[in-house]
Formats: sequence, structure tokens, C-alpha cells
Amino acid sequence: MAQAVQAGQASGAGHDAGHGHADHPPTSLGLDHRKLLMWAFLASDCVFFASLIATFMLYRNRSQQLGEGPFPSELLDIPFTSVSAGVLLLSSFTMVLAVGSLGRNNIRATRIWLAATSFLGVVFLSGQYFEFTEFYHEGLSLQTNMFGASFFTLTGLHGTHVAIGVLWLLTLLFVSLRGGLSEKDAINVEIAGLYWHFVDIVWIIIFTLVYLIPYQDAPSGEGEQETEAFVRLWHLLPFV
Amino acid sequence: MATIAQPQPQTIARPAVTTRSTGLWSWLTTVDHKRIGILYGVTAFLYLLIGGLEAMVMRVQLAAPENDLISQNRYNEFFTMHGTTMIFLAIMPLSSAFFNYVVPLQIGARDVAFPRLNAFSYWVFVAGGLILSLSWLANAAPNQGWYGYAPLTERLSGAAGTYGIERNVDFWALGLQVLGVSSVAASLNFVITILNMRAPGVTLMRMPIFCWSTLITSILIVLAFPAITVALILLSMDRFAGTHFYIPSIWDGTNLILTGGDPLLWQHLFWVFGHPEVYILILPAFGIVSEIIPVFSRKPLFGYAVMVYAIAAIAFLGFGVWVHHMFVTGLGPTPNAVFSASTMLIAIPTGVKIFNWVGTMWGGQIKFTTPMLFAVGLVSQFTIGGISGVMHASPPIDTHHNDTYFVIAHFHYVLFGGSIFALLAGIYYWFPKITGKLMDERLGKIHFWVTFVGFNVTFFPMHFLGLEGMPRRYASYAAGSGWGFWNLIVSSGSFVLGASFLIFLYNVAKSLQHGKPAGNDPWDAATLEWSIPSPPPVYNFREIPIVRHRDPLWEEKYGHAGGEGHQAEESLDISIAGKTISVGEVPDEDPTEQAERRLDAGDTHDIHMPNASFYPLVAGLGLFLSMMGLIFSYPRLPIGALDLPMLTLAGLVTFLVGIYGWSFEPAS
Repeated sequence: MAQAVQAGQASGAGHDAGHGHADHPPTSLGLDHRKLLMWAFLASDCVFFASLIATFMLYRNRSQQLGEGPFPSELLDIPFTSVSAGVLLLSSFTMVLAVGSLGRNNIRATRIWLAATSFLGVVFLSGQYFEFTEFYHEGLSLQTNMFGASFFTLTGLHGTHVAIGVLWLLTLLFVSLRGGLSEKDAINVEIAGLYWHFVDIVWIIIFTLVYLIPYQDAPSGEGEQETEAFVRLWHLLPFV
Repeated sequence: MATIAQPQPQTIARPAVTTRSTGLWSWLTTVDHKRIGILYGVTAFLYLLIGGLEAMVMRVQLAAPENDLISQNRYNEFFTMHGTTMIFLAIMPLSSAFFNYVVPLQIGARDVAFPRLNAFSYWVFVAGGLILSLSWLANAAPNQGWYGYAPLTERLSGAAGTYGIERNVDFWALGLQVLGVSSVAASLNFVITILNMRAPGVTLMRMPIFCWSTLITSILIVLAFPAITVALILLSMDRFAGTHFYIPSIWDGTNLILTGGDPLLWQHLFWVFGHPEVYILILPAFGIVSEIIPVFSRKPLFGYAVMVYAIAAIAFLGFGVWVHHMFVTGLGPTPNAVFSASTMLIAIPTGVKIFNWVGTMWGGQIKFTTPMLFAVGLVSQFTIGGISGVMHASPPIDTHHNDTYFVIAHFHYVLFGGSIFALLAGIYYWFPKITGKLMDERLGKIHFWVTFVGFNVTFFPMHFLGLEGMPRRYASYAAGSGWGFWNLIVSSGSFVLGASFLIFLYNVAKSLQHGKPAGNDPWDAATLEWSIPSPPPVYNFREIPIVRHRDPLWEEKYGHAGGEGHQAEESLDISIAGKTISVGEVPDEDPTEQAERRLDAGDTHDIHMPNASFYPLVAGLGLFLSMMGLIFSYPRLPIGALDLPMLTLAGLVTFLVGIYGWSFEPAS
């Protein structure tokens, strides 16, 4: 190779904040490695939630069909959860403001909006904690019926995503309070923002499918008239 | 000649001393993609040998009818661990070893995009491998089959007693979960590396085909693994939290209670992952032989663009065929017909690849070196497996073959005749680059022929056994079944295969000791990794190369000699970050001469390299501890309503220490 480019492409732009090389060589796509990584990770997370949501949809009406309460229609408090969904959506707005203010090198505003976003995230998580304990007191647990199992698993894993996001935002806030966040680190806040928005969008889907779309009515008497696939499968089960 | 003078980082505060030193600590903290590649390769090869030994134990058991060398449960453990080990601990990480070692070299980069994430992937792979292997020491190896069908994986109590309360499946479910983290982390890294770290001039359609197969395989892993992650989470919930995701009914001692769980959900989630997984195992193999066949045919790859499209088409279709693993579950004629058609479609791009390899060899000056023998071995043996695969695409035939040795024959032709042949070819091909020594060709050829014969003697008769109705996963068979003869042949073949690996190991040991020096380019090859010394220096390329041709080294050595049909795509323009720079405009300037002199003196401080880090190892250890805590579940620490195993909490803290330490240390 007689022809060559002198470029320290070794670690590309894949650096953490606060270590002093501003002159990174361009990447092939012109996009920062970390941003591309977050997009690719979110693609993966889409499949993760798609699988969980598919599981939930499979079991959505099963407790009603089997007559094993408590039933979702007795438990779900749509006005309450609408408020906490609104809080989560609002946090996407404050997240945008946090990214925007760092882009303008307004560190003070960045701190405020990072704090506000994490606060709203914590409010959402508290709402979820309240909801979970309420349901538990009304007799719904992971073991009660298929609704309990799939509801707690889906919303619980979404809540875990929110909790990780809050931890991440608080870490950024902490770094900025130590003076470690400046305009050139805008990418760090931006990718946290990408993650945060994604988690919000997933919640919109979960909220619609879990809360808003009506459930089959709980059976008045016994609920085993229908010969669903799983009932037929029971005959195949070698285990009894 | 023209040189682009990029602003070069001249003053490095922290010289990358640690990346060059030797000793155990340097290996534990390394972030060098080449060292990580070697670590992956050595570890995975160890698991390949273990998986092979497990298979041989099974073959001794089956060599004669009604044999009782091992108990039925032990036999279940052996076939489960054989499958799990070969897929997740041998073939995938061996492919990963080549991704790590070769891809940055082929695209002209100095490392991967996230060197520490790469180290993390390796250590998490080790953690997952350990979790699975430790099950043997706990005398509770997974025993439900590698596909883990519910309710075999569940804790159940029935009229006949309790079942599945041992830890066997816990090791399996949590071990696989950890391996999934490793695979996804590694694949994200390779997607970004390949998309974003190509040297100037390496456009996507000028990338070596191995990089394409790495890219597509990585995309498959990124999009397929979450399905098994969820499947395993649900399974773990069933086992640890008392849910009934996969259990349709439970027995409370007097009554059968319908729970509403559905064992077919597992099969769907598992095969939504499991079928792309098949391509995750074979596409890297296709990439390796697509590198080797052109070099030893002295011709550029025939139909490069179509090869790329074929890889992409196989991957895309691979997501829409999973139900062909479930033809006998009774989903009905419509799904079976649809998935039968989509499965048959995959034969088209796969056939295209076979014909393109033949087209590459056609009229070439073929040199049958060891790597070439193994590569041609793949073309022939994989085709046999591919054809029996098309047979299974038909539901009536599949119903006949399902759960018989015919299926075993099919996927061993694909995975051994395909993946393992290619991985061995890859080892022979890149060994000189990695070690600087040539492997012994005579031993290599003996190795190939012993493998080839052993492989066919082992697996071809399984077709007959399957058609005669011998079922899979049975620890024994009746003397009157008439299967004894072929089983004896198969078992003796497996010993020939075992012997072939001894020849290989002897060859490796001998070549490491006494191999002839390889030089930069022993095969007169076409791709960038052969333009640098063997073994490559830490920084790979002293100067980042500029690439103007799909086969850059052949272009440099022979002008356009190798390039029939290539001229059209060739361009003198180079694109950097979306900006096109014509060669005429490139400033003709020498790189800083001082830096050159320092480089000559062996001082690499001017090249910006990532620092070594032990945090990836810490994070991997954290995952290992948390999972071991869940499996052994005592002692526990009650915090409010939660009652968590202490080891798991310690593991999570360790993991966080690793992640935060990693985030706050300087990367380079």
C-alpha cells in the first residue's frame, strides 16, 4: 500500500467523556459509533418487546376463558395509569430539552432537565409500584392466572427498562455536577435520550394493548365451553 | 504516491504500554481484537473437543443394541450437552474468533469499534460456558435436549411424582441467557465496526465477502437472540417464580387444574430464534470458503454482488421459516403450506452460492492446499445436507423423518460438513497470519482425508437408520430392530473422526514449534490482512490503507490482472465520511517523518490505541456470580418482600462496579 492515510482510526470515535482527544478521524458513515450502537441495540430491543407483547397477547383473554379471576376488567384503573403514562410522555419532552440545552452548551439547563426527566421517570415507577401492590392486594400475583403472569412480566420488564434509564440519567446528572459534561459530550446525553424515547414509545404500545383495548367479559358461570387450542393440547400432555 | 494527510493525534497522554506486554495480566485485560480472537479460538476449540468426546461416549453406548454403558438419564445429559456445547460454545465462538481476528484486518482498521465491549463479550462467553460446564460437577447436567421443549424443562408435580426439581435445566436456561448477552454484545460491536470503521475506499461492495457474512450474521444475532432471551426469561419465571407460561395444567394432589399456559409458545419463541441460529452457524462458514476458494483458484470470486445478495436473502428468509421445525405439532395445513414454501425458497440463494463457488473454481488454476481441500469439502458435503434439508421442507416427508436419525444426518452434514469444515479451512488459511508460521501441508492433507472419510462413515449411514425408523435421543435399541449393523459402522466412523482431531492437534503443535516462517503473504492472497506482517503488530496497519479495488492486494501485485468484470465498479474516487475526494486533489505529502522514524524504532506511541482494561472481566464475573446465585439460591437475603440469593446480589454489585469502572476510565 504505497498510498495511505495517516489516521488514528484505532478506536475511532468510541471514547468516553473527559479524555482530551478532540480530533477523531471521520467514521465511514459519518455517524458516531456510539449513536449507531444505540440504534442497533434498540433494533434488538424491539424484538425483545415484540416477543414479550406477543406472549401477552396470547394470554390476554385466557383467564376469562378459564374463569380464573381476578380479571383484568376488575383490576385495571385506566384513569390512574393514563396519568402515569402522561408523566412518562412528558419526560420525553424534558429529555429533548436536556439534549437541546447541552447542544447550546447551557450546562445549568441541562442539569435541570436531566433532573426533571429522572424525576418524572421515578414518578412513573412509583405509579407502577403502587399499581402492582394494589393488584397484589386484590389477589393478582404471578402465580394466580395467566393474566397475572403475563401482565407482571411485560410491564415489569418495561419498568426495569425505565429504572435503568433513570439510573443512566442520574449518572449523567452526577457527572455534570462534577463538571464532566460539556458541549462536546452532547452525544452522551443524546444516546441516553434515544434510549429514553424508545422506552416511552414502547409504553404507548403496551398501554394501548394492556389497558385500552377492552377484554373479553369475565364468564358468569364456568368458562370452559370453548375448545381452544390449549384445551386440545391438554389431551396430548403426557404428564398426569 | 499520493497520500492523504489526516490530522494525526501526535501527543498521547497515556501510551498504550499495556497492550504490548505479555503475561497473564495482559491477557486478562487485553482489548486487542487479535488477542481476543485467539482467546475465543482456543476456548471454543476446547469446547469443540469436549463436545466431540460427549458424542463419542454416545456412540460407544449405541455401538451395540441394548448396551448399558451409561444410564438413560446420563445419555439424556450427553445429547443435551453435546448439542448445546457444539452450537453455543464451539461453532458460534469459533466463528467469533475469525470475526475478531480477521474483520478489522480486512477492512483496514486498527481495532473494533468498541474494544472493551469486545473483551466483555469474551468474558461473558467464558462465564456462560462455565455455568453450563459446572453442571457436570453438580451432577446435574441439562437433560432435556438442546431445544428445551416444555414441559420437559418445567418443575412439575403429577400423579407419578415430582419432576424437574433438580438444577439441570437451571444451568441450561441461565447459561444460555448469559451466552446470549455475549453474542448480542459481540454482534452489535461487529455491526458498528463493519459499517463505520472501513478504511478509505472500502465501500460496502468492495468489502471482502467474509466481512459481509460477518455483518449479516451479526445482524441475525442482534435480531434473533432477543426471542430466546424472552423465551428463557419466561422459562426462568416458570421455574423460579411459579408462573405457568408453558404449563397447560397442574396437579394439586387430587385435581388437575387448567392453568392456560401453552407449551407451543416455547416452540414458537425458540424456533423464531432457532432457525436464524442455523444461518448464524453457517453464514460465517460460507464467508470463510468464499475467501479461500478464489485465492486457491487464482480467480476473483465469481458473482461477488450476487453472493452478497444471496447472504442477505438467506438471512431475511431465515426469519420466516421457523414453523418447519413444528410441522408435526398440528398447526394445520395452512401454516404448514406457507412455511413449507418459504423454506423451499431458501434453497434458491443457497444454490446460487454453491454454483458461484463452482463458477469461481471453473477455469481457475486450482491449488489443492489444505484450506482449499476443506473449502471444497464444504461445497460438496454441505450440498448433501442442503438437499436433505429441502426434503424436510415438505411436511409429509418431514412427518416421516421427524425425530429420526435422518434429521441427525441432515444437520450434521450442514453443521459438520458445512460449519466445521469451513472453520478448519479457516484455521489452516489464517494460521500463518496469526502465528507467523506455516502449517505442515502433508499432515494437513492427511488430516483432511481422515476427517472426510470419518465424517462420511459416521453420518451417511444415519440416513439409512433414520429411514428405517430409528428414533433420535434414545439411549438404546432392541437387538431385533436390525439397526445394529449401521450403528456399529457409525460408531467406528466417530472414532476415525476423533482420530482426525488428534492429527490436527499434532499438526498445530508441530507447526507452532517448527513451522516455516510464513512471511506476509504465503498464499499470494487478495485481501488486506496479507499486506501486513505475520503476526500483525498491535496496531495492525502502520498507515491506514486506501483501497481502490475489491481485491486490493491482487490489484497492487498484478495491476488489474485479477479484475475481469471488476473494472466497472472500480473508481479512483475515495469517499471519506460521505465526502468524495478525487485522487488528483489528494495532497501529496509525507506522513510526519519523525513519527515514521519512531515507528521504525519500534515505538508505537504515535498510533492511537485503546488502553487495556480489567473492567470487562469484572462485569463478566458479576454476571457469572448472579447466575450462580440463582442456581444455588442459598444463602438468601430477605429485603422486604424480596428474598434474593446473596450471591446474586453480590454478582449484581460486581457487575455494576465493572460497568461504572469501564464508563469512567479513559478509553485510550
